[in-house]
Amino acid sequence: MDRIQLPPTDRSPRVDFDFASGSLSMRGESYPEDAAAFYGPLLQSLRSFLSASDPRPIVFEVGLAYFNSSSAKALMNLFMPLEDAAAEGRPVTIRWVYADGDDTIEEAGEDFAADFDHARFEMVREARA
Amino acid sequence: MTPAEAQPRRGGSLRGAGPLRGGEILGKLGFTEPAGAEAVEGIMRPGALRGAARGRNLDGLAHTLFLRIYPVIAAVVLATQIGIACVNYADEFRLYGERGALLAGITAANLAQPGWSAAPERARTALQALALDPAFRYAALRDAEGRLVASAGEAPGKRAFDLLQVAADLAVPGEERAGSLSLVLSAEALRGNAEKQALLALGTSLVLMLAFVLTLRTTVRRHVLGPLNRLLGAMREVEHKRWVTVDLGGDARPSNEIDAISSAFNRMVEGLRSGDEAKQLLLELEAAHAKLEHANRQVIESIAYARRIQASVLPDRAALAGSGLDVAILWEPLHLVGGDYFWLEAIDGQGVIVVADCTGHGVPGAFLTLIVATALDRLLHERGLRSPAAILAGLDAMVRAQLRQDGRGAESDDGLDCGICVVDPASRTLRFAGAGLSLTRVGADGIERLRGGRRGLGYPRTGREALPETDTVVTLAPGTTFYLMTDGITDQMGAAAPGEPPRLLGHRAVADRLAATADRPLPEQVAALEAGLAAYRGAEPRRDDMTLVAFRLP
Repeated sequence: MDRIQLPPTDRSPRVDFDFASGSLSMRGESYPEDAAAFYGPLLQSLRSFLSASDPRPIVFEVGLAYFNSSSAKALMNLFMPLEDAAAEGRPVTIRWVYADGDDTIEEAGEDFAADFDHARFEMVREARA
Repeated sequence: MTPAEAQPRRGGSLRGAGPLRGGEILGKLGFTEPAGAEAVEGIMRPGALRGAARGRNLDGLAHTLFLRIYPVIAAVVLATQIGIACVNYADEFRLYGERGALLAGITAANLAQPGWSAAPERARTALQALALDPAFRYAALRDAEGRLVASAGEAPGKRAFDLLQVAADLAVPGEERAGSLSLVLSAEALRGNAEKQALLALGTSLVLMLAFVLTLRTTVRRHVLGPLNRLLGAMREVEHKRWVTVDLGGDARPSNEIDAISSAFNRMVEGLRSGDEAKQLLLELEAAHAKLEHANRQVIESIAYARRIQASVLPDRAALAGSGLDVAILWEPLHLVGGDYFWLEAIDGQGVIVVADCTGHGVPGAFLTLIVATALDRLLHERGLRSPAAILAGLDAMVRAQLRQDGRGAESDDGLDCGICVVDPASRTLRFAGAGLSLTRVGADGIERLRGGRRGLGYPRTGREALPETDTVVTLAPGTTFYLMTDGITDQMGAAAPGEPPRLLGHRAVADRLAATADRPLPEQVAALEAGLAAYRGAEPRRDDMTLVAFRLP
């Protein structure tokens, strides 16, 4: 699987999906004009990565200061195959990174966490810069 | 010669048709066209070159050089040759004289015998022997008294300048003064030699002149005029914006100065070429920009019209006036139109308040709001639903059906967050149900956030949806204000302090701001909130549509 690295823009996060090491991350803000166009290829890559039977652990770090509802939906779509993979026994960790005091992002993380039964969902509070 | 005085054009090419005057060259190259023949803008105006080319031309310069230098050289050569000829002539004249003196001496010695004057026959024979010399003209033998004893040849005239006259005394032993022999020789041969030499000198000067002229002209042409003509040709091309450079590296090596000029010219052409290309690009860019602006204006006009339509779908702000509720609205799409929607209606003495946030904003969001508006209308009036939870369930089904999200591989992954309040002023009760949208209550006892279901309406089913099954019932205490707001209100990005990375304002901060102004009339409170949000954002742009409906029952 080729590594996916996208530089951040003012409307989309920096993406680094390093499939070889099982380390995926997204940082920045996410409100692309067409969320399906941005997240579609990412979801496709993630799915084909997961379909290749490989028991390597996966860590997905998400640190978004802002995301719109389309992105929230897209994130959910990314999380679901990860949860399914975790249900099949693959070690999956989601690290939800939020700035200290950012209740909105913290609550959004808690909302997402409720959907995970098998994958580990870590809430990671980052000190303010 | 000034270009204006240029003679009529001579036919033929620049080279090989005899020397061209500079004016003609300039004329041929178009630099002497009447002013205004073409008004080329910029630094390469014809006039600029015409000015630079004015003055003495180089062919003329060669001519002048020749006229100045040649006479000096010719005079020096002539003077030298003539000087040499003079010295030669003098030397030979002297030698001639000596030879004549010797000849006269020998003859005189031969004749000097006692009694010589008595034997004139013998003397005549000796004198006639002298005539064997081709230069001999006349010889006269005189005795001591000066009487002519014998002579040979013809006596010369008095003024014969090319004659050489020598004399020798006859020394006869015993006689003190025996007589004298005078000999006249012709210097004609010498003069002929000298004349020949002078002619030779003249001829040399002429040949020198010819060689000089030819060499100078050829050199000037080859190394100066030729390269310059090519430069001028290139300049004319450049004047017409054909960016040609000059390569003078061929066999006709130009002088260093012209080489430097042509290098500078080439650099200038490169500069002009890139400048021209940049200008072209700029023009294209400007044209593209104008097109974009036109297209943008059309789009904006179109969307502005769409906003009128969307606004007309929204309810009258005073729709709940009859129910006794105070209401204030903030509806501000991000891009003229948007995915935020609200509905106010008094039905059967009850106030229905709906706020929906459809996915996306702008035109796509606005399309969804129309679907929602239609569905809501049918649920309220055809099916007569009054329970918020039931209305949410109905909206969910209708939106999903409308967007064909039930089949597999649905095109649409859209939906909406929605909060619905149905207020019964008579019993001072409020029923609320939300899907992804909460109800905020600010009263004397503080702030309360009544969360609805976490999931929105619509979207293809994932099996994890959990719509609220029942309404939440709240009592409307006097002095308590309720707010339905979309996440565009709370999710404002702004720097909490200068230099910090922007972060979300959040629901709690918005509720705190509302609580701080709870005692003010609703319209004022909403206006204050809007101003506060703008201040928080600072330089950050808005990210989403904003809708807030505030209401209270006095």
